[in-house]
Amino acid sequence: MSDDAIQKAADWLLEAYQTGKACEPVRDLLPEGDVDAAYAVQEINTERRLAGGARMVGRKIGLTSKLVQKQLGVDRPDFGILFDDMAIPDGEEVDTSSLLAPRVEAEITYVLEKDINFEKPTNSEVINAIAYATPSIEIVDSRVKDWNIKIQDTVADNASAVLYVVGNQKVKLDEFDGRMCGMVMESKGEPVSVGAGAACLGHPINAVRWLAEEMVQRGRPLSAGDVVMSGALGPMVGVEAGQVYEVRINGLGSVRAAFSV
Amino acid sequence: MSADIEKLAKIVYDAQINATAISQLSETESFTLEEAYRVQAKSIDMRLDAGEHRVGMKMGFTSRAKMIQMGVDDMIWGRLTNSMLVEDGGEIDFSKYVHPRVEPEIAYLLKSDLEGPVSTMEAWNAVEAIAPAMEIIDSRYENFKFTVEDVVADNSSSSGFVIGQWCFPEIDISNLGMVMEFDGRAVQIGSSAAILGHPARSLATASRMVAEDGEKLSAGDIVMAGGATAAEALYEGVSVRNSVEDLGFCGFGVSK
Repeated sequence: MSDDAIQKAADWLLEAYQTGKACEPVRDLLPEGDVDAAYAVQEINTERRLAGGARMVGRKIGLTSKLVQKQLGVDRPDFGILFDDMAIPDGEEVDTSSLLAPRVEAEITYVLEKDINFEKPTNSEVINAIAYATPSIEIVDSRVKDWNIKIQDTVADNASAVLYVVGNQKVKLDEFDGRMCGMVMESKGEPVSVGAGAACLGHPINAVRWLAEEMVQRGRPLSAGDVVMSGALGPMVGVEAGQVYEVRINGLGSVRAAFSV
Repeated sequence: MSADIEKLAKIVYDAQINATAISQLSETESFTLEEAYRVQAKSIDMRLDAGEHRVGMKMGFTSRAKMIQMGVDDMIWGRLTNSMLVEDGGEIDFSKYVHPRVEPEIAYLLKSDLEGPVSTMEAWNAVEAIAPAMEIIDSRYENFKFTVEDVVADNSSSSGFVIGQWCFPEIDISNLGMVMEFDGRAVQIGSSAAILGHPARSLATASRMVAEDGEKLSAGDIVMAGGATAAEALYEGVSVRNSVEDLGFCGFGVSK
């Protein structure tokens, strides 16, 4: 694989992010099916954002639903980096015009209190590293035109991450049922997406364990204080300007993403 | 000219009893939604005359998405008889259905009557117990295709129901996670919130709707709140389970 191609893909995505004009799929630049090449693209732009003063505050896990994996022809999740400048406080209005084709997803977010910097962590070790859980909404957006994405495009594009809203509650893991907890996202008083914890790889902790192992292998291990958005509990929903999306997760409380007209 | 209720009722009754697929009634007959409910009532009367007895009601089209999909602006309902009850942990005979599907639900057991329009609060006060449940829907129409009048005439596709252990309604049921599994693998995942945003609204709506056709909900009745996810097609030999957060689970098998 050519470093030039990886650099070019990173440049396309960065330009799309900065100008607000979506780019063509970057998969055409990369060796077909090479997900590591796509992560190399992501890493270039991660380094650029860090050099620009952004702070890494966590990770997001994507492709945690069997159905979505099938649609993209993959058998495992992917991840992206969460930076401080992507965080939106609960209910604070998001400037819709700054986004291309945003969608929202309801997720459980876990905040760590211990590092996970060893090979092949187990679920029990991951659970012991988690301080608390909280409800959250991930706002995803694709820098690739019309969401015409395959696995390499979304991985290169920081797993389509753009903004996120994390709840203000701190809920201990023994206070709710991670597998069975119901999830409903409402807009204008109507359910627009529903699901449960099991929709995320059978249990969201399974996704966090996958991430913890992956991050050790890729040289950015999870550490105390990291925010981990574990993956969608129901179908993603296209954002309508002017709407407020409220997510309730049973046992965790609620959180809102509001979009300007 | 008004529809021949008796004739249409006999057609759906025969299809239900013999598990045979029929053409849509609306292809050859013109009848209103109100007449469709009369066809349903008449066909159930035929079943009661044959020895079945009524045990409750079921609600259908309880998600807004499904109402929009079907081009209707209200829920539909059907009648449950004792012969439709499938024992929790039991087995159904696949040959007694046309093309059955199953959907995860919750069920109510009433401790007092509900008659006519009631508030959600009044409806909730009439609840003795709630349980994890599943409904087996089996449209008698070819290819599961129908108009809203067709499906109502066909008892809103109801053909079977399974109920888990009754629980006392002391918990918040507005957003209970539901996982329906086939042979241990999740096939539908949802929440009770999909049922009109709150399943208690479905019970209040049931009281209003059945009254429009001169019926009421009585103490001891079972009311199925409506599907919380899309329905899943059943096949021979599959083992089905629905788990509901905080309520437990129920299950059944399909004969080989």
